[in-house]
Formats: sequence, C-alpha cells, structure tokens
Amino acid sequence: MAAQTVPLKRTAHPNPKTGFWPRPNERVVFGLLGFVLVLGTWELVSSSEYGLGLVKRVLLSSPTLILDAAITDISSGAIWPHIIESGKEYVFGFGAALVTGIPLGLAIGWFRRLNYVLDPWLSAIYATPTVALIPLIILIFGIDLGAKIVVVWLEAIFVITVSTTTGVKAADAKYHDIAESFRASNWTVFRTVTLPASVPYILTGVRLGTGRALVGVVVSEFLAANAGIGFYIALNGSFFSSARVFFGIILLGALGITLGELVRVVEKRFDRWRPAIS
Amino acid sequence: MTDTQIALDARAVQFYYEDPTTHERLLAIEKMDLEINVGEFVSIVGPSGCGKSTFLKIVNGLLPTYDGEISVLEPDHGRAHAMVFQDSALFPWYSIVSNVAYGLTCQGVPKKEAHARAMPFIEMVGLTGFETKYPYQLSGGMQQRANLARALTVDPEILLMDEPFAALDAQTRELMQAELLRIWHQAQKTVLFITHQIDEAIYLSDRVIVMSARPGRILADIRVDLPRPRELKIKRSPAFVALTDQIWSLITPQLHDDAPATGVAS
Repeated sequence: MAAQTVPLKRTAHPNPKTGFWPRPNERVVFGLLGFVLVLGTWELVSSSEYGLGLVKRVLLSSPTLILDAAITDISSGAIWPHIIESGKEYVFGFGAALVTGIPLGLAIGWFRRLNYVLDPWLSAIYATPTVALIPLIILIFGIDLGAKIVVVWLEAIFVITVSTTTGVKAADAKYHDIAESFRASNWTVFRTVTLPASVPYILTGVRLGTGRALVGVVVSEFLAANAGIGFYIALNGSFFSSARVFFGIILLGALGITLGELVRVVEKRFDRWRPAIS
Repeated sequence: MTDTQIALDARAVQFYYEDPTTHERLLAIEKMDLEINVGEFVSIVGPSGCGKSTFLKIVNGLLPTYDGEISVLEPDHGRAHAMVFQDSALFPWYSIVSNVAYGLTCQGVPKKEAHARAMPFIEMVGLTGFETKYPYQLSGGMQQRANLARALTVDPEILLMDEPFAALDAQTRELMQAELLRIWHQAQKTVLFITHQIDEAIYLSDRVIVMSARPGRILADIRVDLPRPRELKIKRSPAFVALTDQIWSLITPQLHDDAPATGVAS
C-alpha cells in the first residue's frame, strides 16, 4: 500500500470578543452558581416561611434567619463588645507570636547548636495540641485577657518559628559561596542571603499562623470568657439560638479570610523579585 | 606594571575530597604547578571531574584545606581576585544594580555610593537601562554580563571565571566570548578561565592549560600566539584549527581512559 498524506486535525480560532458585555469568566460564573445552589438548598430545606421546613429551625437555622439575627445584633450594638474583645486577644496574641516567633526561628536556623538544644522541645510542643495546655494556662494566668493572649500566642508561634527555621536552612549553598567569595561578614551574609531567602517561608508561616491564632481565640473563649465571638457562639448555642451561632461562625470566617488576604498583600510586596506564578 | 610580574603562583598544589559518609579520601588534584603573569588570559580545559573548578575554588579561598603553596599578588588597588560564577549566580532578590554593587556592599560601602560606583561597570558590560530589573527579567547572556560586572566592581587583580558561558546557547556564547575579550582589554585584568570548550579556551587565551582526567594533573601548557584583537572568524583560521586538533588529541585519550570509571565519575 502506498503511503498517503492525511490532513492534521484543525479547529477554528475562538471568536474574538464582540459587544459590550465582558466575556463571562467561568471561575466567577461557576463560583456564584455554587453559592446560590448551596444557600438556596439550605433555605428550601430548613425555612418554614420560604421553604419546605423539613428540618427543625433550631438545628440548621436558615439563611434568612441568620440574616435577621445579624441585622438585629449589629443594629442593637450587641455584637461589638464581642468583636472588640476577640480583636484584642488576637492582636496582642498574634503580635506577640510574630515578634517572638520570627526571631526565634531565625536564631534556630542560624545557630546550629541552638537548634540541637531546642529542636526536640519544639518538635514535641509542635506535635502536642496546644488546647490541651489551656487548663494549665488558666491556672497560671487566670481567666482574664492575659490568659487568652497566651493561648493565641502559643497556638500561632510554633508554625511561624518552624517555617522560619526551614527558610533559613533552605537558602541555597551557592549563595553562601558567593557571599563568602566577596568576603562578606557574618552579619552581611545574614542580611543579604539568609533573610531574603527565608522571607517566603516566613510569610507562609505567618499565613498559617493567622488561622491558628483564630482557633486560639475561639477555643479559649469557649472555655473561660464573658465576652468575645467564641463566647457569643457558645452562649447562643446553649440558648438554642442557632441563627446567632451561625452569625458568629460567619464573622470568624470573614475575619479569617480578611487576615489571610492581608498576608497575601504583604507576600506580593516581597515577591517582586520572583516571576509571577499563577 | 611590567609583564614579568607574577599574579598567581601555584606550587605542587594537591587537593583531596573527603566523602562525607565513608570518609574516604579522593585525590582530585595532583601536584599542580601553575604560574600566571599579570595581564595574562589563561584557560584551563579538561574532561569533566578533572578538578579544574576545584582549583579555581582553591584560588578563590573557598577550599582552604589544600596542600602545596599558592601565592597571589596583593595589588595596590582593589582586591587580589574576584570570582565570576556559573550561570544564575545572581541573587534573585536583588535588582541588577544591587547585585553588581554586592562586592562593595560586603566591604561596607554605603548603598548609595556602592550603586554609584557600580554604574560604570554596568555600562562597561552593556547593561545600561537594566539597573532596576531583577535577574529573572534578564536573558542568560545578560545575567552573565551582570555577573561579570559584579566581579569587576571590586577591582580585582585576577578575574576567576568558572565556566561562565556554559549554560548559554551557542550564538550568545560566541557573542559573550567576543564581549569578554573587549572588556578584558578595557579593564586590563589577569584572567583565569575554566571551560570544557576547547575552541572557547583557544579563542580567549594567551595560554591554554590542558588537564588530565581525575586525579587532575597538567598535561600541557600551550601558548596561543594568535594575533590580538581577535575576531570571531579567527576560529576558522588554519592556526586555530591546528591548535584545536592538538588539544583534542591530548584530551581524547583521557576520555577513553576514564570510560570504565564513568559510572562513578561526576
């Protein structure tokens, strides 16, 4: 049989954009679709007013009931003291974790012998659920703001420290050779190689730390508090007010997302020197 | 500056690598003697793993556990030597001007002054206009220009160059060879250049040192008497081709001898 040529499969170019409306972004369209689907189903299943009322409202509440509760507590001002209390715990606790965790991580990564001394302890504490320490912390620090700051600090510091240490060790040996060949002092090596190379790791630790600190806030308020979003959730749970419980959860979620995005903005600022990875 | 002044004098240099797990000592360089005059351009060629880069690292002070004696000229300007590293050796987190000024920063020169002093060298290597770019925004050839400028800013007597063009494509490499000769001529430096490309070594150098397979010994010290300034087309001249053949005939048996051991050779 003689060889023959066959045409290679070919498709037309997609149509160029025409008209006023921007081309729909699939990510946005399907994201919104999912949102509407979940909330719609929830409302349909649980609401006796707008839906079928299949589930008791005390168990699942419903999107409209949650919105009602949110409007009530925001306009009456009842929610603000809780937000402020949790905010204080978060700012002081997480701030302390940043101020102590990053230098500690840098020191452990830089001084080999310090690493040998501290590594077993850090690994042990890192592996221990910090919530198990809360009774002890309450015993030592009482049930005031101080105790909660300690819990938040403990929750956040280790992930920051461990990540920072990893970053210091991850700096390519090649860059140390270069610094050494230009007779850089130890301080210059630290400033020009170690620190810039570990910044991405530090920021990853910080981003993970924001989430852990939030867990610290909620858990410590569950156990001993008279204010705070965690307390608000626990209190309304015991009153069977599930709409308010959900409102508290949404507040926490919004807080978590905001903080995560904030870190992302900082990361972007430090990422100028790296090709964008999308 | 007279031609008889010696910039680098290595006597009976030996170097062992120690395997970090088995603690076996492996002879990398065996009894190496090398003398380089001020202003000379000397290349070392040899098969992979022959210890040529190791020798450069020793001269650069990164491997102080060598045997033998090495003396370098302490000039009344700048530094004794500076290294141009292999590809992608710029700090990715610094702009080009900060990278080029790095050697000055290490000497404690304030940032502003260091940047100002880096500018003539950025211009010399042809990177004007790219000062504020980051390394990833530059092509491989441009990155190596910055790498060269970084070494030049500390005003070294000897430029140590470790296969600086190895990662470049063939055309960029040729261009950079010509550029290096231009800059060498302008900056008036002594150069010790490591490469595995024979034509690159001949084109650039006054002398080509041919090394044996591991343990590295000097097989030949070949003078290149091609006229300067050299154009790229000199690579096709009979004298150039004859030199290439001569060096190839020295290296080829080394490659064959090494064959049974290639499983462990680097």
